[in-house]
Parts: sequence; C-alpha cells; structure tokens
Amino acid sequence: MRISFQEELDQLEASLRAEGELVLRSLRGAVEVVCTQDLELADEVIAFDDDIDAQYFEVEQGIELLLARQTPVASDLRLVLALLKDNLHLERMGDLCVTIAKLTKLTKGLPPDETLLTGFREMGERAEQMIVVALESLEHRDQEAAESLLDLDELIDRANRRVVNRLLELGGDLELREWGLRMILVSRCLERIGDHAVDVGEQTAYLVTGEFREFTDASHS
Amino acid sequence: MTVMVERGSTIEPMSLAEIAKEHGDEDVVNREAVFQVTDLAVSYSGNVAIRDVNLSVYRNAVTAFIGPSGCGKSTLIRCFDRMNDLVPGATIEGNVLYHGKDLYAADVDPVEVRRRIGMVFQKPNPFPKSIYDNVAFGPRVLGLKGSLDERVEQALQQAALWDEVKDRLKESALGLSGGQQQRLCIARCLAVEPDVILMDEPASALDPISTTRIEDLMHELKREYTIVIVTHNMQQAARVADMTAFFSVEVGADGGRRHGILVEYDKTAKIFTTPADKRTEDYVTGRFG
Repeated sequence: MRISFQEELDQLEASLRAEGELVLRSLRGAVEVVCTQDLELADEVIAFDDDIDAQYFEVEQGIELLLARQTPVASDLRLVLALLKDNLHLERMGDLCVTIAKLTKLTKGLPPDETLLTGFREMGERAEQMIVVALESLEHRDQEAAESLLDLDELIDRANRRVVNRLLELGGDLELREWGLRMILVSRCLERIGDHAVDVGEQTAYLVTGEFREFTDASHS
Repeated sequence: MTVMVERGSTIEPMSLAEIAKEHGDEDVVNREAVFQVTDLAVSYSGNVAIRDVNLSVYRNAVTAFIGPSGCGKSTLIRCFDRMNDLVPGATIEGNVLYHGKDLYAADVDPVEVRRRIGMVFQKPNPFPKSIYDNVAFGPRVLGLKGSLDERVEQALQQAALWDEVKDRLKESALGLSGGQQQRLCIARCLAVEPDVILMDEPASALDPISTTRIEDLMHELKREYTIVIVTHNMQQAARVADMTAFFSVEVGADGGRRHGILVEYDKTAKIFTTPADKRTEDYVTGRFG
C-alpha cells in the first residue's frame, strides 16, 4: 500500500472540495449583488475570485507533482484526470460569478424588474444545488447523483428561458430595457454555471465507469 | 469517427481504423497467435507453481507478464522454450501450441525449440570469450550458412551495440558494462535468427539509461520478432508492452500451498486504465503486492 500516495490523493480531493465551497460562497454573493444592487458587495465578490484562483493553483500544482512523482494508473489515474478537469470547471464558475458582479455594477442607477429578480433568485438556488450535487457525486463516487444533474440542468435552462421571455415583455422604457440587456447576460452566466456542474458530473461518471460519455442533452441547452 | 486527410489533390474523409492500419497499428489480438496456452499447470515435485493458464501470445507484439513474487510468471515463460524440462521433478499439464503445433509433442526436439525461441535472462550471462565469439557461438554450433562476420555484425546492429563494440570485437565480453553485456546477450540470441525472444526481467539489474536502451530495443525488435517479457517493473510493462497479463498468488482450496494464477490478460492500455478485475486494479495501483 502506498500510504503517502493515498494521502496526497486525499489531500487533492479535499483541496478541490474546498475550492467548491469558495465557489458556492461566491455564487451566493453574486446572486445577492444582482438582487439587492449592493455594489460594495459586488466589489467583494470580484476581489474574492483571487481566493478561488489561489485554490485553483494549489490543486493544479498538486496534480502536476502527483503525476510527476507517483505515475498513477487505473482508477487513481482517472481520479487525477477528473480532478484536473473539475478544477478548471470550478475556476470557470468563479469567473462567471465575477462577470455577474461586474454586469450588475454596469446597471448602477437603472431600475430593476422585480419579476426578473425573483427569477434570478430561483436560478441562483438551482445553480447552487447543482454545484452541491456535483461535488457530492464526486465525493461519494455516485454515478446516479451525477446523472441527476441533467434533470437539474433542465430546470435551470427553463428558468433561463422564462427570464428571456420576461425581458421581451419589458416594453418601451429605455432604462428598463438597458437593465434588461445587461441582465440577459446574468441569466446566461447562471445557466453556464449549471452546465459546468453537469461537466463535473460527467467526470464523476468517467471516474466510476472508466468510460467518458457526455450527458448529451447538456450540449443542446 | 472520421478525419480529413489529403489524398493526392483532393481531401477525403478517412476513418481512424484506416489510419491505424496505415501506421501498422491494427489490433494486436487479430494477429496470428504464436503461442496458444490452454489449461496449463506446472508443478515442481508435485507442488503446483501455476495453474489454469489460458492465453495467446500474438505475433510481432510485446507481451508482458506482471505480478508479485511467486505468481509463476517466470515458470510460465520457461514453458515457452521448454526450459522447465531441465528442472528435475517439473511436470507440465495442459497445452502449449507454438504456431499451432504442440510444443511438448514427442517428436519435438527441445534444442530446435530453443533455437527458434531465444531467452534473455535477468543477469547478463556472456560467455568468457570475445565479443565476436559470443555472438558467433550459436551460428557456429548450429552450422548456419552464410558469412559469419556478416551475421555477427547484423546481430550486433540489431541489438544496438555495433557502434560501441565494432573496434574491439576481439576483446573479452566481460569487459563490457552491464547494459552492454545485456545487449550482447540479446545479439547472441538474435544471431541464430529466432522467431520469439523471451526476456525474464531483462533490465532489472541495469541502470535507468541502459534500461531505456533495452526498452527502445524491444520497440524496434518487435517489428521482426515476437517478444515476451517478465517484469517486476509495472511502468516498464506499461511503456513497452502491447498486451499485459497479470498473475497473482492464491492459496489452494484445501488451505494448503500457494500457487500462481492468471488473473487478467488484456491490452496494456486496458490493464493500466480500466482493469476488469479488482485484484489487477489493486496491484497496478500499488495497493497490493
């Protein structure tokens, strides 16, 4: 039994999990920024991305070192490859939260639409749930949970479509329309976070089965 | 899946299978089976060393046998050139077919078997003779036709040793480094134009650079020969082998003695990425053995 190797693998997984927790905090912050127009919080969310990036580098370097020193094979190799990709997906989710905060800053002084804000809260909660399911599917090597992400993604996609439909109804008010244009990108960011969570789930399925397969519907959303 | 490739002046789709074929990379298991082993069991004085072995060794491929000490991998490779015949008390059950012919049939001459199926051992074992005479020994004894000088040069070339020894062919082989001696043993084996080269831990006594040379050599030699290698070094198997067989040790049903068994035999890529058997997985990931 290679004790130090197993410890290094466990450590890598724990680091990725910690990165996931940071992304969840960033996401909650970003949704709060949109819904409350709290521009101070927006700056905090933007700055917080440095923490996520630092965690990303820690995982990345850990993987590099482990590949160089331990030459993992079989399920160990699949785990390391899955972590490598999951790491990138989490980092991208963090970037999308930053984009949401920045877009909100651009709408300073513009009047928000309450119906849409409710829609964003819903999308934010769904995205959060998806990240949790994705991380837990990895932790428990749970293929079924990983595949359930596809259904959850469908829900967030529908919410995204409702947001777009509502935007089309916003009418002639120029300021409201400008706000709406910015917000369509916010909606897109939340929907993309869901897609990244599905990708993390795909890596879990790969880890468990040894076969990579796209949860195809995700690419059609 | 297809990719676009240029064919003459036009660009046409070409399947990956076609490309693989062009690169001589067709499925190893579709090649001729040089050895076909069925229900093989080997015992020493009644004690089973390995049993229930069923596998085929494919032409122009490197086949690696891996597994913990005592799993019978060396015993098995010694069945391929009938070296176990030389061990008092050794008995072999089951079948070993060589190009479809029973290797243990009464009319088969073990000496002829060992001419066609060469063996390289863990410790280089050159004769205490000159470099030239080491390589020339086999062809002389067998009375092979043609120029001896040419044969010696060709074997040394194939073993990637010629450039290092061409100016001192008459010097003692014992003056060569360990890695050179091992390549000399490979040259000695090649000089009698074998069909198969068996290697039992050929690089385990060598430094990393000499090891790399032997591995590169295997890669070259498999174009013309079929190679079977026993190795303790799993990464070596992963690097050089097309097919890998994993052997393990089990305790007999009567709670008695331990003996070797074949656990899994598949393409090397499969063994090292998604092995089918938990025991293989545990061994290649270092959790057992």
